[in-house]
Amino acid sequence: MAGALIVGSSIQEIREALGAVSSLEGEKVVLAYGKAAENEALSKLGVKVYKLNSSHPDHIVKAVEQLFEKFKPSIIIGWITKNNRAALSYFAGLHDIPMATDVTELGIEGDHVVYKRGFLSERAIAREKIPTPAVVLINQKVFAPVEAEASAQVEEIHVEEEKVVLKEVKPKMLSGINLEDAEIIVGVGRGFKKKEDLQLAFKLAELLGAQVGASRPIAADYKWLPEDAWIGISGKRVAPKLYIAIGISGAPQHMAGVMNSKIIVAINKDKSAPIFKQADYGVVADLYQFLPVLIKKLEERKKK
Amino acid sequence: MGDIVVLVKPALNPDMVRAKPDGAVDLDAIPLKLDDIDANALFEAQKLKKTLGGKIAALLILTWGPVARRQKDLRMVAQEALARGADEAHIVADDEIIPGDPVTTASAVVATIKKAGLNPDLILVAEASIDQTTGQVAGRVAAKLGYPYISFARKLEVSDGKVIAERDLEEHIEVVEAPLPAVVSVTQEINEPRPPTLIQIRRAGKKPQNYYKISDLGDVKKPVKEILEQRILTVARKQIIIEGDTLEEIAEKLIEALEKEGVLKI
Ligand SMILES: Cc1cc2nc3c(=O)[nH]c(=O)nc-3n(C[C@H](O)[C@H](O)[C@H](O)COP(=O)(O)OP(=O)(O)OC[C@H]3O[C@@H](n4cnc5c(N)ncnc54)[C@H](O)[C@@H]3O)c2cc1C
Repeated sequence: MAGALIVGSSIQEIREALGAVSSLEGEKVVLAYGKAAENEALSKLGVKVYKLNSSHPDHIVKAVEQLFEKFKPSIIIGWITKNNRAALSYFAGLHDIPMATDVTELGIEGDHVVYKRGFLSERAIAREKIPTPAVVLINQKVFAPVEAEASAQVEEIHVEEEKVVLKEVKPKMLSGINLEDAEIIVGVGRGFKKKEDLQLAFKLAELLGAQVGASRPIAADYKWLPEDAWIGISGKRVAPKLYIAIGISGAPQHMAGVMNSKIIVAINKDKSAPIFKQADYGVVADLYQFLPVLIKKLEERKKK
Repeated sequence: MGDIVVLVKPALNPDMVRAKPDGAVDLDAIPLKLDDIDANALFEAQKLKKTLGGKIAALLILTWGPVARRQKDLRMVAQEALARGADEAHIVADDEIIPGDPVTTASAVVATIKKAGLNPDLILVAEASIDQTTGQVAGRVAAKLGYPYISFARKLEVSDGKVIAERDLEEHIEVVEAPLPAVVSVTQEINEPRPPTLIQIRRAGKKPQNYYKISDLGDVKKPVKEILEQRILTVARKQIIIEGDTLEEIAEKLIEALEKEGVLKI
């Protein structure tokens, strides 16, 4: 057993996964599904590609099964996306083989893989070792992508049969903001009592030249902001020079996403909120009283 | 009429991480708690029980040991699951499968369902746990039982032997349908669980808690994952609380501090 099966729904994902296993010997084959299956760049990856015109987890499982039988790869690898997690956990269950998720470093040691991943909602980091064959799901934008282009064969793969029937697809409202590149981010949390009140944060952001991000409940549950504003372990990972968390308690799952900020400011009315231990500067105040004052002071400064 | 099985993880509490002097995670000093999204799964089970009937069985597989030291935490988690609507709890606690891995947990879940004579219509699982966050046990259990698997459900309904769900994906929502029995993983947004009432807490004490050893269950896979190292991530932050007599003064001091840090653009 050797080589890898790369499973992905975007070209960037496939290139990064190829990068992650570049030191692994043996043949590499790609299963490109969903959107990636339509991408012309597939024929330039330099490795054999199978494309699947579906992103149904049941179909991905079937396709992975076929390719696993055929190529006997020691690693099945892709990004940690929801469909990959769903399909590949099912696949791993069929064979009782191990699966490492949210991997940030990967090494091959004979017939084992050794990797690093977040632990305890990323308050800690673990180094672990599992035998191959194994599934490895890597974090996005951590591994250097393989950029080289070479032509290679692309073949279509057909699977039918599913246990779960897809009835309807509903689009999500996304804003297209790119928090990953933002220098300053104002983060809003459940300390805001209603959607209109976020205007305070937008006003502050405008003055600072900042983008507005949010904790999970604000984006995913209340939908006061589009989901691409969602920061944390299950949302975006950001690295601004300045992160201002307003009305955010500092749960480890949120803080995992802002860990790489240079300076963190917390504004919270509860002096024992965990965020203050994870911030550089803290202001213990009601945001409804403090933000208007801060905004006024910044406006005055701007005029000078 | 089948059962609703809810997987409940006694998880290490990440709000109470403890380090040894050398920076290694002090596992033994970190208490266990009922995993966050398991509360959503239990709440959803209570709702679905009204249409499905049957009983709600909570399944706990202990993955952090040693068992002798975890007895109290484990009983508390089981107790809370029972207070949150489970009718009975089935608990696997055995040092042989500790520290656990998802291969082991999934096979212990399947073995316990058989051993306890459960007849699941639905198996509800949280999308991810707070300690390991691997989100893979649900898929594995579905595969091993040959059930349909619906992941990341933020909305769930059952009727006429079918489950209809909304899968909450990165860029869109999928409405999907599958016949029962099925495994469903639920997101934190599926509901807002209410804390158990006093009466529920009192009743929980009288509900059955059944403990199992691996030798009771038969075929359970041994862990294959080796933990080489677990280190606390420390990001040293200044932790300066800005104080002042008025909010104006605090705002000015904050702006000044950020200016000095060179992180303001104006
Ligand atoms: C598996 C898993 C994954 C998760 N992933 C994420 C993730 O990616 N991102 C994420 O953010 N969360 C995530 N969560 C949820 C996380 O655990 C927290 O529930 C969430 O971050 C809390 O959001 P919050 O801080 O806005 O709300 P809360 O925790 O409710 O905090 C609100 C804060 O506002 C303060 N406040 C209230 N009123 C005022 C006021 N008037 N002025 C000033 N302050 C005020 C309160 O003191 C409190 O500290 C995840 C959870 C799990 C289990």
